[in-house]
Amino acid sequence: MIQIQQASKTYDRGRSFAVQGVDLEVGAGELLVLLGDSGCGKTTLLKMINRLVEPSRGRILVEDRDVSRVNPVALRRGIGYVFQGVGLFPHMTVAENVAVVPRLLNWEPAACRDRVDELLHLTGLSPRTHRDRKPDELSGGQRQRVGLARALAARPRIMLMDEPFGALDPITRDGLQREFKRLQQTLNLTVVMVTHDMTEALLLADRIAVMKQGVLMGTGTPRQILRNPSHPYIAALMETPRRQADQVESMLRSGGEGQ
Amino acid sequence: MTESALADQLRLLPDYLGHHLTLTLVALSSGIAVCLPLAILVTRVKSLQWPVLTVASVAQTIPGLALLALMVPLLGRIGFLPAFIALLLYSMLPILRNTVTGILGVAPDILEAAEGLGMTSRQRLFRVELPLAAPVIIAGIRTATVWVVGSATLSTPVGATSLGNYIFSGLQTQNSTAVLVGCGAAAVLAIVLDQLIRLGELAVAGRSRTKGWLAGAGLLVILFSTLILQIPTAKGSAAVVVGAKPFTEQYVLAEAISQRLTQAGLRVENRSSMGSMILFDALTAGHVDCYVDYSGTIWANVMKRKDLPPRADLLEQMKAWLQREHQVRVLGTLGFENNYGLAVPRRKAEALKLASIRDLTGHAPQMTIGADFEFFVRPEWAALREAYRLDFRERRTFDPSLMYAAAREGVVDVISAYTTDGRIIEYDLSVLADPLQALPPYDAVLVLSPAAARRAELVRALEVFDGIIDDGTMRAANKRVDVDGESPAQSARFLLKAVGLSSPPDATEGADS
Ligand SMILES: Nc1ncnc2c1ncn2[C@@H]1O[C@H](COP(=O)(O)OP(=O)(O)OP(=O)(O)O)[C@@H](O)[C@H]1O
Ligand SMILES: [Mg+2]
Repeated sequence: MIQIQQASKTYDRGRSFAVQGVDLEVGAGELLVLLGDSGCGKTTLLKMINRLVEPSRGRILVEDRDVSRVNPVALRRGIGYVFQGVGLFPHMTVAENVAVVPRLLNWEPAACRDRVDELLHLTGLSPRTHRDRKPDELSGGQRQRVGLARALAARPRIMLMDEPFGALDPITRDGLQREFKRLQQTLNLTVVMVTHDMTEALLLADRIAVMKQGVLMGTGTPRQILRNPSHPYIAALMETPRRQADQVESMLRSGGEGQ
Repeated sequence: MTESALADQLRLLPDYLGHHLTLTLVALSSGIAVCLPLAILVTRVKSLQWPVLTVASVAQTIPGLALLALMVPLLGRIGFLPAFIALLLYSMLPILRNTVTGILGVAPDILEAAEGLGMTSRQRLFRVELPLAAPVIIAGIRTATVWVVGSATLSTPVGATSLGNYIFSGLQTQNSTAVLVGCGAAAVLAIVLDQLIRLGELAVAGRSRTKGWLAGAGLLVILFSTLILQIPTAKGSAAVVVGAKPFTEQYVLAEAISQRLTQAGLRVENRSSMGSMILFDALTAGHVDCYVDYSGTIWANVMKRKDLPPRADLLEQMKAWLQREHQVRVLGTLGFENNYGLAVPRRKAEALKLASIRDLTGHAPQMTIGADFEFFVRPEWAALREAYRLDFRERRTFDPSLMYAAAREGVVDVISAYTTDGRIIEYDLSVLADPLQALPPYDAVLVLSPAAARRAELVRALEVFDGIIDDGTMRAANKRVDVDGESPAQSARFLLKAVGLSSPPDATEGADS
């Protein structure tokens, strides 16, 4: 579905690379999670897929077509994008924000309206209380959910998601993650998702790709990544969630003994 | 008296307000039509930003009055067009700057979201950038509105009727009612337009139907009343345009001429308070049909002559020259001279034994001279200084209406007085003799544009003025305005009666006499 071939991006004519020689393939219906430190090039890689960033070298295929030969406007309307900074339009209501792409695609107003309500339900917002609010009348988590609804609105087959659940409380996050995973599986969505949350990565991903300083360190299923990390950096990265899980487990066990 | 004085002024309001509104609305809407696309272009082509905004800023730093006056020679026209262009230029900076600031101020992550969702750059402009910049753009338009309504009062001296007619003539004739009415009307107009725009903005932002209807209705009322107010001046094209320079005598004479023309059944339009050279150029171009000028002014300023032949010779040569060079017809001399003369308070003249300008030479280095705006750049001043070797300690320029009081109160020692001004007697000034004849004679002459000279009924109505007003009568008429507080129209009636001419039945004064 998405093939990234030797993609590199430099903002300073080759003195440094935000992304360097990345080869990565995402299959149809696959949910790939991009992991890595802040500034390692995850957002840049994501933006190259829908041409918000043009690669300095290499090429990218989406549905077997070289994106550099595709009209970027049409390309982007067919790919849902959840922005790292959410990026809701402050002058539009929630409903208008969600309906942006359907309107660009000239959907009937009634179809837009129904779709908005459907997506607000899906993302755990109440159409009645929230649809006519402006973004500045929402909480950070609510805004993030509207951003997700907006990306899903025109039923894209590919979703690019840059830390989509970052501002949510753990319970809402868990619910929405599961809701999204179910949706992704029923609709057979192809997803590239960036996150800093290891647990999220392990729970949601079909496959995890780890980046460091613009370079792809390796990919693997959550199980492979946990069990046999292909690189010491990946092992180190996985050390934290593993240790935390162990601690939680032992606390649960000792708490049980105390009773 | 004050009530009817106010009523007198308010009768002029529909005409002045109608012109003022037309000028303002046309200038503003053109300003918006030009500036919005230009500003958008500037945000797309960064290299244009500096030059466009700089030009607009420079236009803004030119004082309003100067900008308007500059348009006259640039366009070779008086009236609506130069006023419109100047006001358009004036409206540009706030609209341009705010639109550019507003668009460039849209947060980059929002622009990226618009792009990332698949908006074309056009859709981004209309669906994201302009709506988000709208409050800033509208603030710019509101600033421009207030500026343009205010600056439009300055279009009177370039021959466009506006609420400034109240202010300019009111200042010259010391009619504070007229000044107040003019300023008040302009202020109210500015506030009303500003608030209407604000209401429209609130209606759009808050999606309020009621506010939208209110703003729309307000705008319609304004547009409609502009049209209605314009109707009287819009019909018929052969109105006689009577010009006047900005001082009392000119207003009174223009009124007297207008009253005679009205009585002869002609339709009259007045262009008051125009600068001396602007007025002459307007006459030769046919934008003004007639006005009163002075032989010495034309001799020195238009013909640029430095020699001084005897009075009768000068008149003959001037008539022939005007006819030959400009096809301007001198219909006749009115009979009086309004000379430039140096005047000093009589008590000071007696104390210093000043009888002629020659006696002034020795005292000049300790004295301050006051004059109107034109005097020090006119050739007469150069001739005077040369002939009498005058070297004053300080020169000050005044509005003519304030100059005489400045002499009386000792703010200045000497002034360049007009010899027919009623305030010379009233303020006890004495005019010094000019034994060397450095100053030309200033016979008042009635001049007609080439087109006006061909209109027999117009010539017939004005021929009667030849030689009938003497110095004393003119001075008395001026004094009625400057000292007694009459309106120029009232004084013109007195003048016509004094020289045995009839004036049309009175509509304006019926109320108070
Ligand atoms: N427009 C740009 N111009 C110059 N450098 C840039 C630009 N955008 C990103 N970079 C640099 O490229 C590198 C990768 O940035 P990127 O945004 O892809 O990081 P990231 O992995 O998404 O980080 P984070 O987890 O903090 O969001 C960073 O060093 C960043 O400073
Ligand atoms: Mg990022």
